[in-house]
Order: sequence, then C-alpha cells, then structure tokens
Amino acid sequence: MELLRTENLTRYFGGLCAVNDVDFELASGEIVGLIGPNGAGKTTLINLLSGVYPPSRGTIVFKGKEISRLKAYQVNSLGIARTFQVVRVFKKLTVVDNVMAAVVDRRRMGPWGLVARSILGRGEPAEAQDRDEAERLLEFVGLSAYRNELAENLPYALSKRLEIARALATQPVLLLLDEPSSGLNPSELNDQIEIIRQINRQGVTILIIEHVMKVIMDISQRLIVLHYGQKIAEGSPQEVYRNPQVVEAYLGAETDAEH
Amino acid sequence: MSPRARVWLKWALGAAALIALPLVVRDRYFLHLVVTAGIFVLLASSWNLLAGYAGQLNLGHAAFYGIGAYTSAILATKLGITPWLGLLAGGLMAALFGLMLGVPALRLSGPYLAITTIGFSEILRLVAMNWVELTRGSLGLYGIPPFTPIKLGSWLEIEFRSEIGAYYLLLVLVCVSLAFFRRLTVSEFGLSLKSLREDEIGAASIGINISGYKLAVFTISAFFAGLAGAFFAHYQRLVSPDTLSLGETFAILTMTMLGGLGTLVGPVLGAVLLTFLSEGLRFVEDMVKLDVRMIIYGVLLIVTIRFMRGGIVGLWNSLRSAGRTKD
Amino acid sequence: MESLFLQQALNGIIVGSVYSLIAIGLTMVFGVMRISNFAHGDFSMLGAYAAVFVLGIYPGWLGWVGSILAAAAVVGVIGLLSERVLFRPLLDRWTDIDIIMVSIGLFLLLENLAQLLFGATPRMIQDPFAGASLNLGLFSTSVLRLFCLAFSCIVIALLQLFLSRTRLGVAIRATSQNRFAALLMGVDTAMVYALTFSVGVALAGVGGVLYGTLFAVFPTMGAMPTLKAFAVTIMGGMGSIRGAIFGGFILGIAETLGGNYISMHYKNAIGFIIIILVLLIRPSGLFGRREGA
Repeated sequence: MELLRTENLTRYFGGLCAVNDVDFELASGEIVGLIGPNGAGKTTLINLLSGVYPPSRGTIVFKGKEISRLKAYQVNSLGIARTFQVVRVFKKLTVVDNVMAAVVDRRRMGPWGLVARSILGRGEPAEAQDRDEAERLLEFVGLSAYRNELAENLPYALSKRLEIARALATQPVLLLLDEPSSGLNPSELNDQIEIIRQINRQGVTILIIEHVMKVIMDISQRLIVLHYGQKIAEGSPQEVYRNPQVVEAYLGAETDAEH
Repeated sequence: MSPRARVWLKWALGAAALIALPLVVRDRYFLHLVVTAGIFVLLASSWNLLAGYAGQLNLGHAAFYGIGAYTSAILATKLGITPWLGLLAGGLMAALFGLMLGVPALRLSGPYLAITTIGFSEILRLVAMNWVELTRGSLGLYGIPPFTPIKLGSWLEIEFRSEIGAYYLLLVLVCVSLAFFRRLTVSEFGLSLKSLREDEIGAASIGINISGYKLAVFTISAFFAGLAGAFFAHYQRLVSPDTLSLGETFAILTMTMLGGLGTLVGPVLGAVLLTFLSEGLRFVEDMVKLDVRMIIYGVLLIVTIRFMRGGIVGLWNSLRSAGRTKD
Repeated sequence: MESLFLQQALNGIIVGSVYSLIAIGLTMVFGVMRISNFAHGDFSMLGAYAAVFVLGIYPGWLGWVGSILAAAAVVGVIGLLSERVLFRPLLDRWTDIDIIMVSIGLFLLLENLAQLLFGATPRMIQDPFAGASLNLGLFSTSVLRLFCLAFSCIVIALLQLFLSRTRLGVAIRATSQNRFAALLMGVDTAMVYALTFSVGVALAGVGGVLYGTLFAVFPTMGAMPTLKAFAVTIMGGMGSIRGAIFGGFILGIAETLGGNYISMHYKNAIGFIIIILVLLIRPSGLFGRREGA
C-alpha cells in the first residue's frame, strides 16, 4: 500500500539544482535505502520530505494528502519523523528531557494550550504515562543509564541513538534516517541494525540514507540511487549494484575525488 | 522533621519575613529601595523568560516597561481611569507590542534580532520624546494618581500612597508572577521553549510549532514588563522617556546574567543585589560626580561571562556538586 | 528647491561616507569572527578623543592628518588588547548571547570610563581650515566637510587595496568566507583574528575623528555610530564590505533627506525603519550571502 509519493520533486539553491525531478514511492512497512555519491542531493531530499524547506517545484503526497507546503512541525504531526546527519540533539537538556520534549507536542495543545495547562494543572511537569513512555524509548535504544546526563556529554554514537529515540517519541508512521551509522564501530553497527529492524517490525516505514554498505545491504529491501540530484536507479540491492549507471556514478565520483 | 515539613517551614519563614519586613524596618528610604528592587525582579525575570529559556535575545525590554508605564499613566491622567484597570491595561498593551515584536523574531535570530529589538525600543523612545500632546515629551508625565485605596468594609482601608502600601502590592505582584514563571518553566511549555532555544530545526522536527511558541513567549514576557511599568507609573507618579532607555535594558540584562541566565532564582538575586549595590555606590558617585554604576555593570557583565558562566546560581551549583563529590 | 535638494544630497553623501568607513570595520569583524560588537562606536569615540588631544598640541591641517594616524594607532592597540583579553577566549565555546553581552559590557565600560577621564563636556575638533567654505554654484560646503569626504574615500580605497592585493588581506577574506577551510589552507587564524579586530576598530577610530569633526566629541557619542553602523551593516548584509560601503551612503542620504523633508525629530529613527524593512523583506541584506544553501 502506498504511504508516500513524490512527483517531479525539485529544489534549487540559487542556480544549483540540488534535487531534480525526483519521482518515487514508499510502501507501508518497507525499509528503503537512499544512496548516492556525496552531494547527490540525499539530505536535501530528506529536508524536503520533512518540511525543513519547501520544494521549488513538484509535490509530496503522504497518506493521500498533499504535504509539500506544510511546515516541519506540521509534517511531523502527520506522522513523519527524522534524524539529522549532523546531530541536532538539545545539548543543554538531559537525555530524558530530549525525549520528553518530543512527547509533549503529541497532544497538539499548542503553545497557549500548554500555558493554560501549566497554570490550571497541578504543577506536575508531565503526566506519568509520558515519563514512562520516554523511559521505555530510552531503554529501547539502550540509553537508560545516561538518562540524567546532559545530551552534550554523550559520545557521538550515542547522541545519534538519542535522536532516534526522540524521533520515535513522536510516534511516526514514517521515519527518515540521515546517516544513522556514520562514526560507529563494528559492534555498535550491529546494535544499530538491530534497532532499525525492530523499529520496522513495529510497523514503521523507514527511508534511510547510509554510506555504510553493510547496513544498506543488510536491511534495505529496496534502494533508490540519486546522482547530481536525479534518480538514476531504483530496485533491489542486487539489481542496483549491477546497474552500470550506478557503477559509473560511484566510480566517477571516486576518480573525481582523486584530483 | 520530615523533608516535606522542612520545605513548608522554609516557605513559611520566608513569607513571614517578607510580610514583616516593612513593619520591622520602618525606614522609608530603605523601603523605596526594596520596591525598586522588586520592580527590577519583575523586569529581569520576564526578560529571562525570553533570553534564558527561549534563547531570544531581546535588547528592547525597557520598551515594554515604558509602554506599560505610559499606557497606565495616560489612561489615568487624561481619561481618569482607575490605576487598577490601568495596571491591567499597561500589561495588555505591552503584550500587544510584544506580539508585534515577536513577528520579526520568527525570521531573525542572534545579532539580527538584537539590533531589531534595539531599533524597536529606540523608535518608541523617540515617539515618547516627540509626541508632545500625548506624552509631554522629555518633560514627562507628572501628577499621575497613586493606586486608589481599597476599602474592606468600614473598618479597614488599605492605602498605597506610602511606601508600605506599595511594598505589599508589589509583593503580591512579584509573588504571583514568579509562581507563574515557575509553573511555566517546569511545565511542558517550558520544555518546548528550551528545546527551541537549543535547536530550532531539531525542535520543529519533533512537532514543536516554533513560531507559535516564539509569539507566545514574547507576548507573555512583554506583559509582565508592562505590568512592572504600570506599577512604577503609579508608584513614582512620574513617567519620562528615560523609562524606555537602553540603559534600563542594560541594567536588566546585567542583573539576569549576574544572577544566572535561564534559572528562576538568578534574576531575582541579580536584581536585588545590583539595586542595593548601585545604591551603595551613591556616595562614591557624589564624590566623583558621575555614573560609577554603569562602569560596575560593564565589569560585572564581562567578568560573569568570562569567569563565572551561569552567574551566581551556576557558581553555587558547581560549588555544591564539588562539595558532594568530596564527601 | 532643487538646489536645496542637491545641497542635502551632498550633506548626505558626506555623512554617509563616514558611516561607510565605520560600518566596514564592524562588518569585517562580524564576517571573520562572528562577533557582533556593540562597543564598536566607542572605539570611534576613543579615536575622536585621540584627535582632540593631538590637535590641542599641533593645530592646523597637519595636526588634523596626524590626529587621524594617532587615532588609528591608539584605537588599533586598544582593539588588539580587547580582542586578546575579552573576545578570543570566548570564540569557540560561547554562544551569540555571551559574545553580545561581553561587547555590551565593554560598551558600558568604555563609555563611562571616558566620562571619568575626559569629563562630560563636549569638545570640538578644531577646523584646520578656519571655517573656509567653498561655493560651487548649486551648493556650497565647508572645505573641512569635503576633506572628510575625500579622506574616508581614500581610506576605503586603501582598505580595498589591502584586502585584494596583500597576502594578509587575502587571508582575511579567505577566513571570512570559510574559517575552517582557511585553517586547512594554512592560514594562521589566530593572527587573522587579531589583525581583523584591530584593523576593524582602527577604522572605527578613524571614522570617529571624522564623525567628531562633523558633529561633536563627548563620552556618550559612541552609541550613535554603533547603531548606525549596525543599520548599515544589516542593510548591506552582515559580513559584506561592498554592502557596508553602499549601505553607508544610502543611510547618510536617507537620513539627511528624511530629516529635512519628513521630520527632524525622527531622523535617527530612519536607520532603524530601513533595517526593519530590509530584514523583513530580505533577511540576508541587500548584498549578503544567503545562508543554509
């Protein structure tokens, strides 16, 4: 069943076309890998899907609804959550508060609703069930031991996990992961793969940007390849890696890098 | 004694001390200082809500103070409206301007926001200087009536002409405001503010409506500064364009930084300390005939940020945790 | 009517050239170090006082030129010191708010120390041309004001030469473009920071002499050039030198014409109104790079 679809999705930065006429679909329950050489437009695509900025042209349809002009927070409230290539955890907040912050707006009371609630409520910072849920998510990604640490004190690999927990706290249907495995050592990598699988088993569709081949080959059911902003291939990992255009793109990029 | 009882006892003693203060120390000048400190507590705490919790650097806070003061003063002197309503109107008018200033803040941050807010307050100060029919220009508005007495039956009348009456009124205002700020900052609203302070894009990615929160916090912060202004107008009974000056804003932010940005106690401590410190410096000023106060403020700002990040509260916390690890 | 307009436009250009000069320093420091220096105009004030003292000893136009060199030297050294002591330790770990707070602290300190040292009474920078004026038919102006205009244009041109032709200048521009890349290319960024800050405030100091010549010299005079320089910089795009040059002239002309045709009382508000408009329409300024792309 179709969950998300893009049509002619395009984004310019000045004269540069970072994403060029990209069409693809995601079906409910899939894990899809988004790959391509550096500068291919992968992160820009995720930024478009999550509403960080609007597309210059084209549409995004999520669960049958056009979302290309929505703001990031609205996109999230419809059920799309994400992580970032360079982590954007809330550094001066504790690990548990990072996750709690994501639970808060699920009730969609809006700022003034929460102001009223903080006056009329019993002064409780949060409902017990929210706390429990945050704790459960920390447990899930293996961060319970760090719950009261400031997020800025976490090692890089763990701050990436924290971002996953924070994204999950918004109860997404679709999770966009932007290089979740960069900077992980082999054993951390295996844990990471297991975590992503488990998230998917709970029914969350996943679109993942990844450079670590092991992760991509292990978990994706399907790959989408971007090159210079255009989709050049799509299909099962085996098919994609036999595709001459893809080989060309990667080899070409490597020879470029040698100059 | 149970810990709970101990907390209650602490609060009760604190409250008793605050209530008894003007009855014990009858010196009018001292009470005037306490009232001044109280006004700065309101101003610094409301500025802190914006800068410390939401990360929005507003360098035009004195404008909200001035708007509150002028609104209530004009209503009372020109239309004869009771100061009690003026107090509310002053807060609401400032809140309206806060909402207006919140709009550019949706797109600006850091130095851009800082300079825009300075511009906002300077423009308002020029208006206060030059709209003579309304404000009497640099002469200022004088003859503002004090808060009208409250009659409780026929046997008790509370009046606010004296420092004692003003003290109690302000005590109520400050306590209610601080209780509100506490609730706000420990609540889910506060958590959302802190997350947008830390990272706006990250906050939006988890469903936090950044624009909505920014507008809300600008409005709330401005309301309390306006309230302080309206109180000041009927206490001092004179409002001049100086109320809106950058100097006032700089005093407010020095107090907050010194006490501890982003903490509840910090601005209260800072406001009280600096009010009394600058009064203590009066005799030095009389000797050298100039504003030593501002030199001290400058030095304190620099020293706090260079060597005492987190202000007095931060210092206290790190001393305490150092003590704990030693045990 | 027409000649009045031309007269006002010329006055605007003269004042604008001084705004440009002061704003270039501010925009350099922001571009290279990301410091929004709210004490910038107080370096102008220091420069102006340096000129008052030099002219007190050597009057005449030689003294006037000498006073500009003295202002640049004195303010440059003070700038070097404040960069080393106040700002450099902050640059990597501290937030925007902290850096702005320190510069506000410096502003309060300089302004009030000046009051302590020099007294509150305004001083004048003596006119080396003894009030000589020049009548050019359509408009007339004093020789001194023309001298100011010429001088700021020369300094701006020299600065452009320095930035484009010398190794140091190129290093400054490279660091402004991309701090990290410059570091990788072997640019000594600590040195570039020190130099940029010191040159930046020295420009403010020189601008201060001219500003003091056009208006008056007093301890609290610094706030105005600071605010004007910010207005100019935001108008032109923070970090853009070309933007600062154009922005200065635009503000100078807009202020004199606005002050004349709209309202003298709100003359000083014009800069703010312009920047609020610019920020709402084009937040990166007229010449600024757009960030985030």
